[in-house]
Amino acid sequence: MSLLKLEHICYQYGRNARPVLNDLNYQFDSGNIYAIVGKSGAGKTTLLSILSSLASPTGGHIYLNDQDVSQIDKYRFRSRYVGVVFQNFNLLSHLTALENVVLSMNISGKHFDTPKKELALELLQKVSLSPDEANRRVLKLSGGQQQRVAIARALSYDPDIILADEPTGNLDEETQDEIIRIFRLLADEGKCVILVTHSPIVAQAADYVYELPRH
Amino acid sequence: MFLFQNALKSITRNKLRNILIGIIVLVIAVSACTALSIRQAAQTAKEDTLSQMTITAQISFDRTQAMEQMAQPDMENGKPDQAPDADTSFDRRNFDFDILQGSSLTLEDYIQYAQAQSDGDSYYYSGAFSLDATGDLLPYGTEEDDEESDESSETSQDFSMQPPGGMENGFPGGGERFQVNTGDFAITGYSSYDAMLSMFGEDGSYMITDGEMFDETSEELTCIISNELALYNNLSVGDTLTLCNPQCEDETYTLTISGIYTNSASSSEEQNRFSMNDPANNIYMNYTALSDIADASSEADNTTTDSSGEEQSAALNITLAFTYTFTNIEHYEQFEEQVYELGLSEDYTVSSSDLTAFENSLTPLETLSTTALWFFLIVLIVGGIILVTLNIFNLRERKYEVGVLTAIGMKKSRVAVQFVIELFLVTFVSMMIGTAIGAAVSVPVTNTLLSGQIEKNEQSNASVSENFGFDPGQSAGERMARPDGSPAVSYVNSVSSATNLTVILQLVGVGILLTIVSSLAALISIMRYEPLKILSSRS
Repeated sequence: MSLLKLEHICYQYGRNARPVLNDLNYQFDSGNIYAIVGKSGAGKTTLLSILSSLASPTGGHIYLNDQDVSQIDKYRFRSRYVGVVFQNFNLLSHLTALENVVLSMNISGKHFDTPKKELALELLQKVSLSPDEANRRVLKLSGGQQQRVAIARALSYDPDIILADEPTGNLDEETQDEIIRIFRLLADEGKCVILVTHSPIVAQAADYVYELPRH
Repeated sequence: MFLFQNALKSITRNKLRNILIGIIVLVIAVSACTALSIRQAAQTAKEDTLSQMTITAQISFDRTQAMEQMAQPDMENGKPDQAPDADTSFDRRNFDFDILQGSSLTLEDYIQYAQAQSDGDSYYYSGAFSLDATGDLLPYGTEEDDEESDESSETSQDFSMQPPGGMENGFPGGGERFQVNTGDFAITGYSSYDAMLSMFGEDGSYMITDGEMFDETSEELTCIISNELALYNNLSVGDTLTLCNPQCEDETYTLTISGIYTNSASSSEEQNRFSMNDPANNIYMNYTALSDIADASSEADNTTTDSSGEEQSAALNITLAFTYTFTNIEHYEQFEEQVYELGLSEDYTVSSSDLTAFENSLTPLETLSTTALWFFLIVLIVGGIILVTLNIFNLRERKYEVGVLTAIGMKKSRVAVQFVIELFLVTFVSMMIGTAIGAAVSVPVTNTLLSGQIEKNEQSNASVSENFGFDPGQSAGERMARPDGSPAVSYVNSVSSATNLTVILQLVGVGILLTIVSSLAALISIMRYEPLKILSSRS
């Protein structure tokens, strides 16, 4: 049984538009890093939106542990089962790094045995952010640090699946390596990491690579 | 709980935006608090005064209604077929004088209607007629060598108004005549000391300077007379006065003086045209004694002949003034309804000069209260529009935040709740500050506006008075009662407290209303936002 299974997924913007995704059939399992690659316009980000329930496929089904995702409340799905690392991080600028992570925990509605703040600090330390950096407003952090905060936020409610859109897009080489190291660490912990990228370095680091055909 | 904490963080970290909203709400709160306080002050002043007020009321014949009925053309008799000017003008030939003549109720009637009063209410009454001087006794203000004056004082003034049927003295003649006899002295009898107090006033203008007040229950013919009359005739306590029926000199009555009073009120020349109208010639006694005199006069069965040669009874008739007192306004209103069920004709009305004077005294405050209401509504509408607009702009600014929150799994409804909490907290704090400021300024502001309103009213009244010769603030009765021109209306000219719990609760309501209205547009927008679109457009 696959953790996440895509069956005949199709997507098109508008009824008469050209399909962006056509009859995709992918499987994703725990403990692996998957790289979804493709040329610009191939629908990488669209697929990520579908996987995170931000968009609904126009055809086909997605199964999470054999349960049709369309039967799960999309807000619950996003706040419990998948952690999304957006390309431009999408952090709340008026909050600190720590508060962004705690907010995500609160939204999930999950019960935590350890105080949320403590857990959030641990997560931020795991992605190499010091307590001092954790208490800074996100606008005062560098791009790499913000990316780490976004990853920590995605991990905050311990989802099985981590989705990341161009996770190394604007980062220098050293930071890219650091981020890839973190994803590998997560996969080794049993998470299913799905990366949408056009970076060959990231693709090389993945266990499986799915290339999206351009229609 | 996290929604509340998140809202607090959002407020404290977006100070400028929230300060701007806060200032607008503050202005609304101060204005609303002041306006509502003015209204509350008016209401409190009204209720406080009413709760402490003993209301007096009288039953009186509605002459205006009777005159209007008489002036209306008789459709059944086909009189409208007459010339138009004949129909619309007052026709003396068709005037039913009995209507006006029969407009007096007996003491028994008044007492019967008192059954419509409630527990704790009471009544009192006074009666009056005039008597002439006999022997050497002279009414005050009449000179022995002033023949004209003396003559007028002793002559019965005969105002002949004839009922329909003939023409005499310019009036249609025939039937009984109304006679207005003016004697030398006005004799007034009171049912109780309460009746006297109401008549004399409690301002100290009347004072017993020698002797004592007559016994209110005694049947002895004792009385009190004015200091002027006593000096004029060299009378003192214990002396007697022999007075006669103005229409029958042989019918005499002897009163014993129990006390002498002074009266600081002055009277006008117009009043003193007849000596009995001079306050100095007022003689007071109890009603029982007055009634005994009237009974004796009836038993004497004297008659007089009027100018048309008809014989009329010369018996003294008591003119009754009956007053009902009520402990509160509800009792009065209940009486107003129930008295008709006891058989009072619709031709009579129940009225209270106390209430009329009280309502007049509140005129400036009521006017101010109405103005305050309009001001409040305008501030609320304009403020509401500004807040709605501001919130729509705010939400556009925070669209990305909504997108992020929903993208990481927060339901739109919870996002909306957080935004409403933020707005509510800002509104609440601003309302608190605004209410405190409003409460502090409302009393001086109310009093300043009130004095301006009173001045405006007085100027208006003075203008009418100058143009038409009477004060519109006075009722017809008051104009007659205050011929010296003293101000009839004592306006409520200040308030001591205005903001109370009611105002605060109203302001809480205003705050909630503003929050709901101003966040409504924002809520609708949030529910329509799609996170993917927002985040895509941001990218």
